[in-house]
Amino acid sequence: MSRRRKPSRTLLIAFIVVSVAVVGFFTGLQGPMKITASDSASSRSSLPGMQSRPTEEGVVRAAHYSEMAATSRTDMQQSHLTSLKSTVEPLAEFKITFEDKLMALEQRGRNRAFNGAPPTVPHSIDQQTDAACVACHQTGAVASTIRIPRMSHQFLTNCTQCHVESHSRHLPSELFRENSFAGLPAPTSGPRAFPGAPPQIPHTTWMRTDCMSCHGYEGRQGIRTTHPWRNNCQQCHTPAAAMEQTLMSAEPTFLPGPQIRK
Amino acid sequence: MSRKPDTQDGVVQRREFIKASAMAAAAAIAGGTSFALPILADEPATGVDWQKAPCRFCGTGCHVQVGVQQGKVVAIAGDRNADVNKGLLCVKGYHVGAALYGKDRLTKPLLRDGDGYREISWPEAIRIIADRIQAAPERFAFYGSGQWTIPEGYAAQKLMKGGLSNNHIDPNARLCMASAVTGFLATYGVDEPAGCYDDLDACDVLIMWGNNPAEMHPVLFSRVIDRRSRGEKVTLIDIGTRRTRTTEACQHYLEMKGHGDLAIANGIAHLLIKNGTYDQKFVESFCSFKAPDDTNPNLHGKVISFAEYKSLLEPYTPEYVEQLSGVSASQIRMLADLFGNRKLRITSLWCMGMNQHTRGTAINTLVHGIHLLSGHFGTPGNAPTSLTGQPSACGTVREVGTLSHALPGGLVVTDAEHRTKTEEIWQVPPGRINSVPGHHTVKMWESFCTPTSEGGDIGTIWVQVTNPGQTLPNLNKLFNPKGDSKAGLEDKLLIVSDVYPTATTRLADLILPSAMWVEKNGMVGNSERRTQQWFKMVNPPGDARDDCWQTIAVAHELLTRGVEGMKDRNGQFLFEVKDAAGNVVPIWEWEHYYDTNVDEHLFEEYRKFTRFKHKDLAPYGEYVKARGLRWPVVERNGEWKETHFRFSEGSDPYVAAGKEIQFYHSSTHDDRAQIWFHPWIAPAEVPDAEFPLMLCTGRVLEHWHSGSMTRRIPELSRAMPRAYAELHPDDASSYGLKNGDRIRMESRRGSLEIPVWIDGRGKPPKGTVFVPFFDETLLINDLTLDAVDPFSKQPDYKKAAVRISKVHA
Repeated sequence: MSRRRKPSRTLLIAFIVVSVAVVGFFTGLQGPMKITASDSASSRSSLPGMQSRPTEEGVVRAAHYSEMAATSRTDMQQSHLTSLKSTVEPLAEFKITFEDKLMALEQRGRNRAFNGAPPTVPHSIDQQTDAACVACHQTGAVASTIRIPRMSHQFLTNCTQCHVESHSRHLPSELFRENSFAGLPAPTSGPRAFPGAPPQIPHTTWMRTDCMSCHGYEGRQGIRTTHPWRNNCQQCHTPAAAMEQTLMSAEPTFLPGPQIRK
Repeated sequence: MSRKPDTQDGVVQRREFIKASAMAAAAAIAGGTSFALPILADEPATGVDWQKAPCRFCGTGCHVQVGVQQGKVVAIAGDRNADVNKGLLCVKGYHVGAALYGKDRLTKPLLRDGDGYREISWPEAIRIIADRIQAAPERFAFYGSGQWTIPEGYAAQKLMKGGLSNNHIDPNARLCMASAVTGFLATYGVDEPAGCYDDLDACDVLIMWGNNPAEMHPVLFSRVIDRRSRGEKVTLIDIGTRRTRTTEACQHYLEMKGHGDLAIANGIAHLLIKNGTYDQKFVESFCSFKAPDDTNPNLHGKVISFAEYKSLLEPYTPEYVEQLSGVSASQIRMLADLFGNRKLRITSLWCMGMNQHTRGTAINTLVHGIHLLSGHFGTPGNAPTSLTGQPSACGTVREVGTLSHALPGGLVVTDAEHRTKTEEIWQVPPGRINSVPGHHTVKMWESFCTPTSEGGDIGTIWVQVTNPGQTLPNLNKLFNPKGDSKAGLEDKLLIVSDVYPTATTRLADLILPSAMWVEKNGMVGNSERRTQQWFKMVNPPGDARDDCWQTIAVAHELLTRGVEGMKDRNGQFLFEVKDAAGNVVPIWEWEHYYDTNVDEHLFEEYRKFTRFKHKDLAPYGEYVKARGLRWPVVERNGEWKETHFRFSEGSDPYVAAGKEIQFYHSSTHDDRAQIWFHPWIAPAEVPDAEFPLMLCTGRVLEHWHSGSMTRRIPELSRAMPRAYAELHPDDASSYGLKNGDRIRMESRRGSLEIPVWIDGRGKPPKGTVFVPFFDETLLINDLTLDAVDPFSKQPDYKKAAVRISKVHA
């Protein structure tokens, strides 16, 4: 099929634009380290952020151009995506406590209306294009200053269609109408057939194909997999059929059994 | 059971284990065995019941899966089995469930009592409405909505036209797609698009005429641009008056002045003919030519020859078009070359840019015209397609015909034969239906806001599912001429059925709490002729009740008072519903409303109308099974089949064999579509020395229309908390403005103080400003113009002259 060609030149150009955008964005990574008065509401000093303003936690914001001169060469080098040092050894074995898990789920819930909702974006975004999103979220990263989850779904072009800012940065506003929508909470665990059995996936996986986006090393500590060296998640962890929108959600049926006369 | 819990993941494992042990013990006791393998209950996900429903918001018509737990909506997911969205939603759709749970939901009928309101009972509320109607039936008007479900609209339509012989029923969709309707009628003789969303998967070129689908129809936009990441080539062209998120994804951006579209379309037609690149065979086989008849302006116009058409287009050279539209001559030539290339598949999309236009009918027909002239019509990917903004602007307003001149199924009140057909289906006495069209929206509100002594002939308006106090143009004239007071209008009564307090309820005398979305059964019809159905899943809060019930309850109250119109020719109630045993179900009593499926009864009756214009709908049960079906839905070999491409042989069952293309509702009765010429005409208001800037209004991704639902959803409201004015940086600096500064914006009709946002969501060109209309505290419609298109009576919200000044704190 002639249609199935390699990504067009447009994509290549987009990639170059994106790359430039990345450099621009991370040039300012050191910015938030110098907390200004106006930023105090989102102070990162209170991390690990159960108390900090929810969606600001774990997020580095770009420096203003006016602050850039003050940013040293080393700072700038450290803020390049390629030179960021991960604080997490991707394949290290580690333990998770239930408290870790609850904290991770609680933090995760802060920018989601319900479990399965598209997360809102806890940092400023470009109002006009999506180009910059992909630069970071294509691969994801973890460093001492930042955690960038990678896309859990296939590449979709129009990021801001589903992901909006958690708080408008341009039009701050004070009053909101209250809403009592109680979203489906995140499950704390999947059912196991017996102790030691692999748990079933306790949540929907609509739109999401990359388990490692949340459970991999860019994921929050409390919900990471304890065995990241295994790559085929669904080999052992099955999705619950009731939460899939496929024909598989039907009740299994059987041929009638033998009629035993008494 | 002495095995220690696995310490690998600590407490979690332990809790599971304890549960497992408990269950094993229970099983052991029950089964009488010493050991049973425990099967664990699925802790988190039990009790979530997933059901299908179309999204509550726009006209795209995405299907969602609604997760309900313990009587509440708790989660939403895209519906994988839906053709429209294939599992994807936009941010509004993902959060639609929270629209039900704003803390200030209306839960009791409220009657104005001095400065405030007092709670009243439903019977009292119904009596008040019946009193008003009975006192002066001809002064009563029903103002409805493209968010009315099909049965709701049908019930209101039948009450008004079949019961009260009153044609003063009009919907908010008059403000939104009336010009699309007149465009289709003038061109094809019958309303609604021939193409469908499948064209978006097939087109090589997508032209968006004054349209920003990246924000307003994001799922459709993604459907196109995601093709690129699969390696397909699609050329996107944005013809607009402001740079938007859509522009960023387009290869070409043609920045035009307001009304420039008229010149651009004529310029394309001019070049197609001049270059000989028009599709001669298509035109000769399937088209005729028309021009407006200035002595008798109507949708039929006058027939002209090809030669006349050609000479009318003669002045529209690329250079002249550049002068009129601001789009360069080379870009006009580029468009004409694309249309002149038969190998390309071209789809046009438009929405409010072409419809909210004082020459809306003209530009709609012109865009259809260039598709017909160039033969870019009737094959996959070749379609002129208008989009709707509301979930049932097509299904309810256009198909059920809840417009002041219309009857269900594309019939009109002015045609005696149409009235007879309708009276037959409704079984009402001959002559029941009034032959004079009622007031269209702008006229209805103008009459309501005019004192009775000065000829204001509407005394009561009942508003359902819409928010005219925010969305009408020129609010200071059409909604609140006396501000918050009713001076001079004391005898008028405004009844509002809604789910939240709105800019409309602020002046309401009687407020009725309504059920919404999955709190009731419903059916709607989206932009691509797709009729969709859902069932009630949760209960409405407090005393909130279905709009359809409200209408039927009022009709029944009138019946008990002996109002003759509430009976059909057999003496039965207009909305009589019988159960399987033949007993009348008292659906006017709320306790019994859901004893039967009222939607199904009304729909099955309405369905009879859909045959007249070949917009056949399937039985209700087919829609229960489907994620919507595109009409005409025709039974073949025992199966109900939908139609993808209308008027096209092989797809549309009503096209005769061998015809290839057949416009079987042609207004000239010869199976031909009409290619229109319309001249360029300046906007109704243009900037001048006193009001030097052009104001455009519109929407944003996060909020749906007047925001009464989306602004109560925290994720959406926090992302887009309030309205703003977009300015060009040069204009901003000439007024000494920087981001966040407040300006006073004034038109000849009203003024507003609003913060500026430069290089924000969109970038208007120099000399223009843009303000979204979602914010009920920043009513930009105080400033907009109430001039309307002469045929569709739709106002223009996109062009009003304003001036601005900095507000010093």
